[in-house]
Amino acid sequence: MLTQKEFFEKAGAGELQAVRCSRCGALAIPPRAFCPECSERAWQPAPLSGDGTITSYTVIRVAPRGFAGEVPYAIAAVHMKEGVSLLGRVVDIPFDKLKVGLAVRFRPLTRNGQTAVGFGPR
Amino acid sequence: MRKVALVGAGISKFGVRRASYRDLIWEAGKACFDSVAGIKPRDVEGLVVGSVMPERTAFQSHISSMAAEALGIKPSVLSARTEHMCASGTVGIRYAYAFIAAGLADLVMVLGVEKLNQPSSDEAILNMGTGVDREWEAAFGLTAPPCFALAAQRHMAEYGTTEEQLGLVGVKNHTHASKNPNAHFGKGATLEQVLGSRMIASPLRLFMCSPITDGAAAVIVASEERARALTDRPVWIRGTGQALDGFQLTSLHEDYAHWPALKRAADAAYTMAGVRPGDVDLAEVHDCFAIAEMIAYEELGFCKKGEAGAFVAAGRSDYGGDVVVNPRGGLIGCGHPLGATGVAQAAEVFVQLRGQAGPRQVADATIGLTHNNSGMGEHVVMIYGSEPA
Ligand SMILES: [Zn+2]
Repeated sequence: MLTQKEFFEKAGAGELQAVRCSRCGALAIPPRAFCPECSERAWQPAPLSGDGTITSYTVIRVAPRGFAGEVPYAIAAVHMKEGVSLLGRVVDIPFDKLKVGLAVRFRPLTRNGQTAVGFGPR
Repeated sequence: MRKVALVGAGISKFGVRRASYRDLIWEAGKACFDSVAGIKPRDVEGLVVGSVMPERTAFQSHISSMAAEALGIKPSVLSARTEHMCASGTVGIRYAYAFIAAGLADLVMVLGVEKLNQPSSDEAILNMGTGVDREWEAAFGLTAPPCFALAAQRHMAEYGTTEEQLGLVGVKNHTHASKNPNAHFGKGATLEQVLGSRMIASPLRLFMCSPITDGAAAVIVASEERARALTDRPVWIRGTGQALDGFQLTSLHEDYAHWPALKRAADAAYTMAGVRPGDVDLAEVHDCFAIAEMIAYEELGFCKKGEAGAFVAAGRSDYGGDVVVNPRGGLIGCGHPLGATGVAQAAEVFVQLRGQAGPRQVADATIGLTHNNSGMGEHVVMIYGSEPA
């Protein structure tokens, strides 16, 4: 088992960790209790390369409290090289360069001790 | 299973209301009881209330009992609240349906209510964020508009859907709402206004989004025997389906232009109802954002996958087209008081199938569909008919 806390600690250190089902081989991220494919609870840690391509994106102009000072900012859905999907904040890529299929790489975004998933240029 | 029908429906005025949470319950409840002669609150055996966040917006929980007392209802067989984010109202109707179909109740009210507007709009936007995953999505600033913007951007990249086509959904639903005195917005909108409105999350602009709205709606659901005794025009529940792909966005179909859970929910409802997509005269679909209505055309089978843009542009989802989508104005025109939305959709089908929809009447309507979702991966579909299945 990989707890959410451990996931974010590793992510904060730059290591993106998925889990692989030792029964059916399914890959999952975020970590979860039961395998969504075969319902087994036998996960092995499976580090990801961090490389992926954008499947969709949006530039947010109106944001909730805590993020309002950061607009505009972009988020993207990313297909990771290993086959799983992950959402994150896009950093260091100009908005007009964003497109479906763009190659990106995982980038931890930590503030106030809390890490969130981000993506920057490859 | 026993046949089940709607026998009454009523809605409050939707909008930025000074009314309290309880005022909204009173308003919709009274309109509902006024719509059907022969039912007093004490006749109602059960109450289900769809409401998402009164704990945050009205500092009130224990909702079903509070609403029952406000309306003079003494539930004897069923009292419950449903919380399923934006689909809470339709989920409530399904509970009432199941109780009555199973013979456990004969007369149940389903009420949806939400008081979303706060003295500070910042607070209202923050509250809406409780619907996404706190640790995995809200943590980097995700709220509802960006989720659907991801679907829109993907649909544009994959199928060549345009901003103008997204805008036409906004134009249609704002125009429909202008004929609905209970809608949040009443002025209609031109394509220039929609495409010139403020960007919220690209490519979704303000007039392609549902606003933050206060409102309530109620329907009364009855067994066949009670329905036939109460009215000569019951509106029958012919089919229902619900399906979930997942909660977090990353658990859904990776291509956000595809909503397989909606197709599964629709197929279940069509099969149960003995109805095909081409039989549907009007559909109240969950246009929380314009792209949601377009993907709904496709997954509900009104047009082929990828052709939603051309479908709306050709007027095929408007009066005179294949199916009138969102005649009451949808969530974009009426607003989206979460728990109230699904019930208000049912209330619209109720008046349409009884020929009581006035200036927005769909001619000769006999089959009506409602679609309510909670995010892109969770969908509920109901099919109603002027005749039972
Ligand atoms: Zn497995």
